[in-house]
Amino acid sequence: MSKGFFTDTTLCIGCKACEVACKQWNQLPADGYEFSGNSYDNTMALGATTWRHVAFIEQTAPPEAPPSLNKWLMMSDVCKHCTHAGCMEACPTGAIVRNEFDDVYIQPDVCNGCGYCVPSCPFGVVDLISHADYTEGRHFESDGRTHDDATQTTGGIAGKCTLCYDRQKVGFIPACAKACPTESIQFGDVAELHERAKKRVETLAERGVDSYLYGVDSGASTGNLNAFFLLTEAPGAYNLPERPVLPSTHQRAGYTSAALAAAALTAIGFAIFRRA
Amino acid sequence: MSTTPADFAKYDPGASYRGASNGDILPAHAAPTYYDRPLLKKPHWEWEVILYLFMGGVMGGSGILAAVADEGGDDAELARSARYLSFVLASTCPLVLVKHLGRPERFLHMLRIVKFKSVMSMGVWGLIAFSLPATAGAAGQAAEDGLLPGWIALLAPRAVVKPLLALLGAFIAGYTGVLISATAIPAWAIGKRFIPAFSVCSGLASACAANAAVLSVTGGNPRTLVKLERLELVASLAELGLLLGFERHAGEYGKPMYAGPRGDKLRTWTMGFGIALPAMLNLVPIHAKWKTLLASALTLTGGYVLRETLIEAGKASSEDPKAAARQPE
Repeated sequence: MSKGFFTDTTLCIGCKACEVACKQWNQLPADGYEFSGNSYDNTMALGATTWRHVAFIEQTAPPEAPPSLNKWLMMSDVCKHCTHAGCMEACPTGAIVRNEFDDVYIQPDVCNGCGYCVPSCPFGVVDLISHADYTEGRHFESDGRTHDDATQTTGGIAGKCTLCYDRQKVGFIPACAKACPTESIQFGDVAELHERAKKRVETLAERGVDSYLYGVDSGASTGNLNAFFLLTEAPGAYNLPERPVLPSTHQRAGYTSAALAAAALTAIGFAIFRRA
Repeated sequence: MSTTPADFAKYDPGASYRGASNGDILPAHAAPTYYDRPLLKKPHWEWEVILYLFMGGVMGGSGILAAVADEGGDDAELARSARYLSFVLASTCPLVLVKHLGRPERFLHMLRIVKFKSVMSMGVWGLIAFSLPATAGAAGQAAEDGLLPGWIALLAPRAVVKPLLALLGAFIAGYTGVLISATAIPAWAIGKRFIPAFSVCSGLASACAANAAVLSVTGGNPRTLVKLERLELVASLAELGLLLGFERHAGEYGKPMYAGPRGDKLRTWTMGFGIALPAMLNLVPIHAKWKTLLASALTLTGGYVLRETLIEAGKASSEDPKAAARQPE
């Protein structure tokens, strides 16, 4: 049975409790104190040790429009746990697996940090955990770990949302969904979440709010997303691709063109070096 | 003033997206970005990977040369240099690759599985497979040269080693291009029909140059050098054609590779000094060691700059959220 997230952006109030709960439960280092100047978003993107990210989108309506069309949107982004996952296909060690909850999980003791999953994610989610994240100015003593422990287990490898694999195993819901005060983040059976989400789109339409589901039956090569979203703006506004493409779909053309070039040049080589 | 659904339809920039079916070309206003922040993550590959892409080209190309050389006739020296070069590169490349890992001590984890879907897994196994005929070929050559006992040559029959070197060499020269283009990076993905092909061409041209340089120093047959120059000319002109074709095909997606200082560097060092100049030098009817060495150095530099440009262009492309929003199919 597939487990996943339905993130309803119309309910998000931008409190970032999900970000904090995720950092805390997964013992991830803080993001530092960079000030972005972009609305209330100083997290700015998902990262190797940032597995929830609340985006803040401020939109001003044209002057002739009703002022109620000024929009301030919030959206808690997360790894999409794709049905066809680019990172998982690219992984040469088999460190990235699909677990019993149908979620995409990186086994930290197997990953060797080759970095091929990073450009292979069409959503720009997975990244390499820098060694510095785990060594410089971090205080792990508070959670009972030494710097050495933390570096040994996590530095230099790829990191992304595990969909709280450890919590799911003992029957808990993921930390972000647990912490969300508005049920913007809902965790559950993906098929059931789909039903709930479709009803929500209808309800919103009745109330005059135009919305759609991102990552459900879109026909994209990444397939349905186990973590899908209800959006009221074009995907680009939330830094989501309008057209995500599964990288392995390029392989056939790639191998063919390499083989054609190699066959032609080898044949010419034989012709040139043939004994006169 | 109350808001009606009609107001949303009129002023809502997302409305046209939701009305459009998937994959349709969208009006420009429906493609906002998030504070122009990158949508994709930047590849982490640094000089180690660039160097490996270059070395892999020379290695694979040398495998092909070792197979096509007429060793019973004019080209015995070429067969020798190509065999030794394949072996030396096959033994040093893994070190460069291990160096680039985030956790080098876990290199062996690559060998847990054989994964056809992962181009990198295929590449690792291809490299290991290539190292077998490369080692056998070099050992056989060393036995012939009196460096190893003569019976070792019997363990590496030419009829088996040669086709394997050519086949696996072609794979090594080409798979790196497939690996790069089978990603979500727009400037790489758009090149799926070009990057693998010009990687093979550039690899073979570089291998011709490297072997010509070795032969000019060790004193190879002048007729072999002429043949090498001829093959290098064909390969590098094909590379030039593919690079120009890729620029046309990639359009906006190709800007990170062809526009600005990076494009100028590619045009100067790869297309100009790396392809056109050596081609002209090789047309000059002078046979001198300095000319061969100069032409070889230029070709090899051009090959390295091509790989460097490719990787750097991918990094720049990953920072463009508009290109990443509509990934090439």
